Amino acid sequence: MIPLLETHALIKDYVIGGEVLHAVNGVSLAIQRGEFVAIMGASGSGKSTFMNMIGCLDTPTSGTLLLDGIDTKGLSSDELAEIRNRKIGFVFQQFNLLPRTSALDNVAVPLIYAGLDRVERARRAKAKLEALGLGDRLANSPAKLSGGQQQRVAIARALVTEPLMLLADEPTGALDTQTSNDIMGIFQALNDQGITIILVTHEPDIAEYAERRILFRDGKVIEDGPVAKRRSAAP
Amino acid sequence: MIQRAWRNLAGWGINVAIALTALRVNLMRSILTTLGVMIGVFSVILAVAIGAGAQVSVTESIGALGANMAIVVPQPDSDGPRQTTDRGRLTERDIKAIAKQVPGIIATAPQLRTRVQLVASGRNATTEVIGVTPDYAVVSNVNTDEGRFIEQGDVNASSRVAVIGETVATKLFGTYDPVGETVRINRVPFKIIGLLESKGSSFGNDNDDLVVVPLGTLRQRLLDTPAQGPDDIHIAFVGFDDEPSLIAGQKAIKKLLRERYRVAKGKINPFTVRTTTEIAEVTGQATQIFQALLVAIASISLLVGGIGIMNIMLVSVTERTREIGLRMALGAKRADIRNQFLVEAAVLCVIGGGIGLALAKVAALAFVAYADFPAPIGFGVAVGAILFSAIIGLAFGGWPAIRASRLSPIEALRSE
Repeated sequence: MIPLLETHALIKDYVIGGEVLHAVNGVSLAIQRGEFVAIMGASGSGKSTFMNMIGCLDTPTSGTLLLDGIDTKGLSSDELAEIRNRKIGFVFQQFNLLPRTSALDNVAVPLIYAGLDRVERARRAKAKLEALGLGDRLANSPAKLSGGQQQRVAIARALVTEPLMLLADEPTGALDTQTSNDIMGIFQALNDQGITIILVTHEPDIAEYAERRILFRDGKVIEDGPVAKRRSAAP
Repeated sequence: MIQRAWRNLAGWGINVAIALTALRVNLMRSILTTLGVMIGVFSVILAVAIGAGAQVSVTESIGALGANMAIVVPQPDSDGPRQTTDRGRLTERDIKAIAKQVPGIIATAPQLRTRVQLVASGRNATTEVIGVTPDYAVVSNVNTDEGRFIEQGDVNASSRVAVIGETVATKLFGTYDPVGETVRINRVPFKIIGLLESKGSSFGNDNDDLVVVPLGTLRQRLLDTPAQGPDDIHIAFVGFDDEPSLIAGQKAIKKLLRERYRVAKGKINPFTVRTTTEIAEVTGQATQIFQALLVAIASISLLVGGIGIMNIMLVSVTERTREIGLRMALGAKRADIRNQFLVEAAVLCVIGGGIGLALAKVAALAFVAYADFPAPIGFGVAVGAILFSAIIGLAFGGWPAIRASRLSPIEALRSE
């Protein structure tokens, strides 16, 4: 079976002040369907740049990136937008919900770009919010939700298009320990249902919820292996 | 195919919904932005309406003057620089000769006019008095509401009788019936024998602010500066049967008067003959230029409004860069982002245009009510204004929208 994600000698260079900075400097790895991966590294290690490339938000300088068997090289911005819409769900550190917009409408945004009609959008968004225990918060705007609730709305939004993988960039960075544990529990439960989860974090504790840990330093992978003592969020 | 078209249509509907939400969220800013377009559309529509009204007014005034009429005045007729030695002359005898010799004439109306002071029943007024012959009523379409008009007997006897306009009547007598009363014109008592039918106003001139007396009476009793000759007149109206005889008549009158005044070949005529057709053409052109000028000036405010829209859309794009990045991450294509901002600009403009149109309509009604000046706003103008507003939105919102759609998703998402 083909891997969900495969990279070969992936490189991303930035030119800053005339000097070339190798943010990602030759990364080759594969992630299979159903994996729960934590990408770790200090700030500036290249983990975020790598994440942006596999999320099709940024394009590599060189190297190959295969997503679900598709080579992303040379794809137009619209084709990349479609991949992001159909195959990838994003969860951000700052939640990135639209202000003054209800939870239901926030979750429905990706479905707008998928071209679904209003009724179907509302139906699917409601179902996802209910599955995440927010059935009684559909009409609330982000300002009327706690941090944990906001992140659950964001997860519902990431899941609403039934993507192949969930990309979470420091999803617990803005949350307290208890809430972080709850969120990681949701990720573990989703992973148990078969959803691939790729998590970027700099916190070793959070990485322990994953099955596999990839450590970045100076744009390269320096460690890649299973998490020794996996933590479970379930009580 | 149909499904795709439906998707596109639904997509636009969504864009409108997103745009309306964004506009509601920044309500105050939206209102201020709309104000620019509103004022622009308001002034353009009003300019068009006033121009159209002026044309209607001109047509009506010329109609009131009387159709197929030649106007003869004792002013040297020259396109080049006038020579002060070329003094104009026109006499009653000239007009009689015209009436006798030029074919196709219905009536001729020689006239003298001067400004006078009126006193009656302890009140006074200043107005213009015109001295006429009975044919004036025929040429100028004048009727009396009450009493009678000047008759040949009055002219022959140089009677001190006067027919007064409605404005004068109201000034001097209020609601009281003036017929049969006495009015002193420059201290000379006149008997009021009739009240003129109202002709309203044109170009802000009150057509009812006048007094009509027999021609000879005016000459003998009311003229401050005596005329050159015993039967000199200030102006004469010559009514013709139809337009062809008017055109031929204009030439014939010129020829006749040149002969009578022995104007040598190549010399300037000491008189001018104009026709209502010429006046209609000239004033028609003048009002068109006037309208074009008004619209041009009003368009500047619309342009400024459009630039205001562009400015706000640029601010909006900058402010919402993060939102644009998020939408791109969630699968928005460039066209989706572009359309979202285009629709936002168009919606702003159409709302502004709509309000501007409504205000222009109110202003036009006020013009009719208070200034008695027609300012028609046609259906085509109204629809055109709304469409034009949308086009302004698309034109001035276009660049900001395209700028938004060209953002890199990751750069946009990272912006604070």
